[in-house]
This record gives sequence, C-alpha cells and structure tokens, in this order.
Amino acid sequence: GDNRASSRTSTELVAYKNINDLPPPRDVMIQVDQKNEAVLLPICGSMVPFHVAFIRTVSSQQDTNRNCYIRIIFNVPGTAFSPHDANSMKFQGSIYLKEASFRSKDPRHISELVQSIKTLRRQVVARESERAERAT
Amino acid sequence: MTDGHLFNNITLGGRGGTTPGQMKLYSGGIIWKKQGGGKAIEVDKKDMMGVTWMKIPRTNQLGVQVKDGLYYKFTGFRDQDVPNVTTFLQNTCGITPEEKQLSVSGRNWGDVDLNGNMLTFMVGQKQAFEVSLADVSQTQLQGKNDVILEFHVDDTTGANEKDSLMEISFHIPNSNTQFVGDENRP
Repeated sequence: GDNRASSRTSTELVAYKNINDLPPPRDVMIQVDQKNEAVLLPICGSMVPFHVAFIRTVSSQQDTNRNCYIRIIFNVPGTAFSPHDANSMKFQGSIYLKEASFRSKDPRHISELVQSIKTLRRQVVARESERAERAT
Repeated sequence: MTDGHLFNNITLGGRGGTTPGQMKLYSGGIIWKKQGGGKAIEVDKKDMMGVTWMKIPRTNQLGVQVKDGLYYKFTGFRDQDVPNVTTFLQNTCGITPEEKQLSVSGRNWGDVDLNGNMLTFMVGQKQAFEVSLADVSQTQLQGKNDVILEFHVDDTTGANEKDSLMEISFHIPNSNTQFVGDENRP
C-alpha cells in the first residue's frame, strides 16, 4: 500500500541526471538549487548535492562568540515515519550520511538557508506524498 | 619530451577551497605552482602511487596519490587535455590513470571505502564525496550505529570559505556487514 508507493517515488527522486547540470561553482558555501530541489554542501573542496527530500531537519545556532552554525540531518532507517524505511529494505547494507554541520561567517546567509531548505522540503514532501496517495 | 606540457588555470583543491595555479608535466613528474608564486607542489614520478581522472561539472579533475599518503586534486583540465595527460603519464611515469565517476543523484546512502587516508562515500558505485582523514581531528562512536567525524577547525580554517565543514556522521545499520567487528571503522 502506502509504503510501496512512497518507496517507489523516493527511490526515483534524483537531484541531477547529468554532471553538467550542477550550478556553476560560486563561493565555498552551502547553496540551494530550487529548480533541481537540491542542497549543495561544500565537503572537502567539492560541492556535493543532496536531494532535499532526503533531509529530515535543518537548524541553526549562534554561540557567544557570534559564530553561526548550521546542522543538517538526513533521513536514516529506523527513525519514525522515515520515507527511507522502505528504501532501506531495497538498499539493505547501505551506510547513510546522517548529519553534516558547518560553521559560517554569515548569520544572514544561514538564516536564509534554513528558511529556504525548510520551505523547499515542505513543498517536495507534500508533492511526493500526494503522488504516493494518488498511486494507491 | 624534455620541455613537457604546460597547463594554465589548474586549481589545487583542498579542504579550504581551491588555489589557482599552473601545472607542468615533465620527464621527472609533475610540478604545480601557485599563481603569482609561493606554494609549489612537486611530485616525482617514482613517488606516484595512483592517478585518477574524474569528470566534474564543466571540467576534469586529476587525482594524484603519492607515496607518503598525500592525495592531490588538480582541477581544470579540458576534455581534450585528458588523452594527452593520460598518454604522458603512461609513457613517462609508467602509470595508467583510472577513471572515477562522480555521483550527482543527491542520495545520502551508499558505501564507505577506506583507501590509505582517504575515506570515500560511494553512491551506486560512483563517488559522492571524499574526505582526507588528515583533516579529521576526532572520530567518535555514538550509540551502536553512528560514527561521527570531527574536522579540525580553528581561527584560520575557512579563510577562503564562507561555510566550513565541522562535523559529519554516518549511520551504519545493523544490516551492514562491511564494518562488523572491524576495529578500523571509519
């Protein structure tokens, strides 16, 4: 029923089909690609895309030294209502990237990021669950 | 081939972003020089352990692994440069580059490969990202299934970057058999 449909859609979600579809490199910073529903993370010299549907939560934090932090947590199997639960059957034995944290120099950029990732994620998740419902 | 090949606009990639420069291939190996002088990297051909090509957005990346475990990533080779560099490396250095593919599917699940001091996250047999363990300050096990990698961060980290990676963690489900009972977990 529901489970099967959501597994079908979430395994089919792909951020980019082609390497050259990635946005041109800008500063070394987290980027949101609305069109491809992707979040690009600077990891050790490369921009690494993740589909926004695989993100579970995003949050920011500021410490007393006015450093700003952003934390992105991904879906992993075993968490309640994770759309990966069906996936994890299909990809049994896989290792998951669970979390990535960054320190930023720009608090405004971080709060904009948190907002846009949350909004984009909400839209995509709503669309996917609607699609899954229609499929059943 | 005494004068070798010269390639302009080759950047050296690293954790703190990229540095533009120029690369020369000559009979003794590879020399990369930072634009405007300063830092230079010389790799003697007898120290080359492995060489890889990877197509990345709009350009090509040459990975050079050297004997002491260091791994350099040079970016900015045009498609037409690739066969020339390959031939040169084969003929002069006696090493054949391997091809790697980049994953851009956006998935967060795959496999972890450990090779020397590089940790590679592979998604569907393609590389999603690579981490040099030299940049990792600490690893921690959280609970039974999560491994946290903390990266060196100090005041000088991220001079050229707006957002600096501090920490990533991997979730290794019980169904994974790769790292069971292995003391060298990532």
